[in-house]
Amino acid sequence: MADVTIDQVADAMFELVSSMKGKRDLKPMDVSKQMMEKFGDDVDKKMCKKALRQLIDSGRLTYKYAGGSYVTLPEA
Amino acid sequence: MTEMKYKTPLLDELEKGPWPSFVKEMKKEAHRPMVQDAIGQLERSYEEHISHWKHGGLVGVMGYGGGVIGRYSDLPEEFPEVAAFHTHRVNQPSAWFYTSEALRTLCDIWERHGSGLTNMHGSTGDIVFLGSTTEEIEPLFADLTKHGFDLGGSGSNMRTPSCCVGPARCEWACYDTLDACYNITQEFQDELHRPFFPYKYKFKFAGCPNDCVASIARSDCSVMGTWKDEIQVNQAAVLDYAKTVDIDAEICDLCPTRCVEWDGKTLEIDNSNCVKCMHCINVMPKALKPGKERGATILIGGKAPIIGGALLCSVFVPFLEMDKDSDYEDLKELTEAIWDLWGEHGKLRERVGEFIQRVGMSNFLEEIGLDPVPEMVMAPRSNPYIFFDDEIFE
Amino acid sequence: MAEERITDIGPPNYEQFLPPVIKKNYGKWDHHEILKPGVMVHVAESGDKLFTVRCGTPRLLAITSIRKFADIADKYCDGHLRWTSRNNVEFLLTDESKIEALIAEVEEYGFPIGGMGNCISNIVHTQGWVHCHSAASDASGTVKAVMDELMPHFQNMELPAKLRVAYACCLNMCGAVHCSDIAILGVHTRAPVIEHDDLPKMCEIPTLVASCPTGAIRPATVDGVQSVEIVDEQCMFCGNCYTVCPAVKINNAQTDGISIWVGGKVSNARVAPKFSKLAIPFIPNNPPRWPEVVDAVVKIINVYAENARKHERMGEWIDRIGWPKFFELTDIEFTKYHIDDFKHAGETYMRTAQLRH
Repeated sequence: MADVTIDQVADAMFELVSSMKGKRDLKPMDVSKQMMEKFGDDVDKKMCKKALRQLIDSGRLTYKYAGGSYVTLPEA
Repeated sequence: MTEMKYKTPLLDELEKGPWPSFVKEMKKEAHRPMVQDAIGQLERSYEEHISHWKHGGLVGVMGYGGGVIGRYSDLPEEFPEVAAFHTHRVNQPSAWFYTSEALRTLCDIWERHGSGLTNMHGSTGDIVFLGSTTEEIEPLFADLTKHGFDLGGSGSNMRTPSCCVGPARCEWACYDTLDACYNITQEFQDELHRPFFPYKYKFKFAGCPNDCVASIARSDCSVMGTWKDEIQVNQAAVLDYAKTVDIDAEICDLCPTRCVEWDGKTLEIDNSNCVKCMHCINVMPKALKPGKERGATILIGGKAPIIGGALLCSVFVPFLEMDKDSDYEDLKELTEAIWDLWGEHGKLRERVGEFIQRVGMSNFLEEIGLDPVPEMVMAPRSNPYIFFDDEIFE
Repeated sequence: MAEERITDIGPPNYEQFLPPVIKKNYGKWDHHEILKPGVMVHVAESGDKLFTVRCGTPRLLAITSIRKFADIADKYCDGHLRWTSRNNVEFLLTDESKIEALIAEVEEYGFPIGGMGNCISNIVHTQGWVHCHSAASDASGTVKAVMDELMPHFQNMELPAKLRVAYACCLNMCGAVHCSDIAILGVHTRAPVIEHDDLPKMCEIPTLVASCPTGAIRPATVDGVQSVEIVDEQCMFCGNCYTVCPAVKINNAQTDGISIWVGGKVSNARVAPKFSKLAIPFIPNNPPRWPEVVDAVVKIINVYAENARKHERMGEWIDRIGWPKFFELTDIEFTKYHIDDFKHAGETYMRTAQLRH
């Protein structure tokens, strides 16, 4: 089984959030659940958190609050 | 005195009277244009009976999903200085102890970056800085961290834990609330700053069942000090109290389990029936003290009404040792188990107390690996609609 | 980037802020005694004494005032002070002889000493119109007006028991007021007005629909715009939708106001913690001093003070005399709004003939 890297998960997360822009806001857990589904046993919650942190720290994604917390693309 | 930009006849009324005035406090910082506009806008609210603040948006410091709450004026043309006027939550030290030096450091930081208005403290416990522009968010954060302070929680994350004065100044503290609060806050920094939950999760640490931090009503996880053995009694001091306290009426009759008896000379307590309510200890603090075998009761699920109705916490672990040297591993393990389950299956804005009611306490316990015990309920069920499974035949 | 970004350091360690007498006697306190309103002493097993002088604040504090507190702490307390969970400042001293001078200076600066024992401590409260978007009323102003009248109860200890007043400016209850002897709560009383033009830009419709606890919000096309509609009869004015979507305006200058709740508590002393129960469903906003709210609170406190037994909190007193007597003594009208009709409402119906006639 090929090892999945944090970068790969991060890229997949970014793609997911981008594809949902304007359609549905995703919570951090929604994004992570979809990654665990997509990559199966190769990815766990810890990895998802790391990937998410990488995306947020680098500014590719950002948090937003609207009654609950979501991850979204930064405003242009 | 700074000249005021707006006439504020309504707010001026609230400078009168003996209680300290928040209007005076605001005017003390009115040399800043943003405070002038905040006062002007507030006067407008007093005239019109409505708030002029808007919420939402994408504000925060890089990397964090909490700690800054976006706040905007809905009258930005009229009050441009508060067009953006954000709230910052700064994580307070355990039990709100400060030195004058630490306070001045905080004041200097806030003077450099914002309005100079604060709440000491916000409802959850944070130091609240009221009102900065969007541009100042990052510089303020850098200034705070440089001086050893960090932001607190907001949004769907662990909120800033808080605790009572505990062993620092209270003989009733059954565990070290300050240390536990600090330890848990440090352990879960990631959960505090990076929202990963369906909604907020609050910790409050109370040293005894008097619950001076209202943990049972105001937190998702209440860690409430208690003891297992006998109340410590100083009979000579009880006799002393007997001169001013009607012990039969004020102590024995008010004991919820009537486990205290007084014959005019000796106070007898049936400790096996004591429910640790604290009443007798509260009334005679020089004579009575909690026992020596101390720990905490862990209660889960308290919250205010939004959205499914208010809840008080309920008992999960009747007695947990809270030894400092244990690093609170049992509490952390329980917490992670709860977060895993609720985190995965909770709905948006569903607090853990509501989640437990939705899925059922028994199911919840089974999933997090806690055995049911009678201390968890006021009484067993009275309805016969039981979801039996095969376990009944084992 | 000149400096490395610092994150995740958490709060400063409290130990560095503790006075030496606390460090020495940490966890080894023997007993305490209230010496007079607002002043208490803690005596350690070692015999060491720590004096605490408590003063009330309006919670909203200027850094000018905080610096003044720091100066006072330097002058009398070797720089040591703390805040309580009810927004009071506590000056911590070891030199008993400095207490009176400290009190004089704090009072001179405009902050009252008290809030201990069987009294009314500070009113914990929320932001209100000062800084909140969903406030149905102002918090600071109402609290100021009420506390101006309750000052004597802050400064003495003559009530039957502790009396905790709390204020929240909407049902979100940032102040979690729902377990207070007296809770003053801002309420919305009309369904939100929807700004259909803004809604699709600002909000996600499925999330907004799901946010309504009574299912009153439905997707709808309004003037060709994808939006929502609200079934007014199903709305219970909680404002949850407004939190999720700013285009659903719950605030209403004409119909927002204040409700009053009584008999809650959080401590476990004698009886279990209790929720506060509805006393007055609605009082219109009347700034700047909300005289109707102040009168109602004062009336309830006076009746309680006259009738409760020693150690009885508001809720314990009402449980002893019964709710009909409470409404009679306080001269508050009992209405249809007092009968619960939300989830588990039936739990509050009287299902016994044990009545006082």
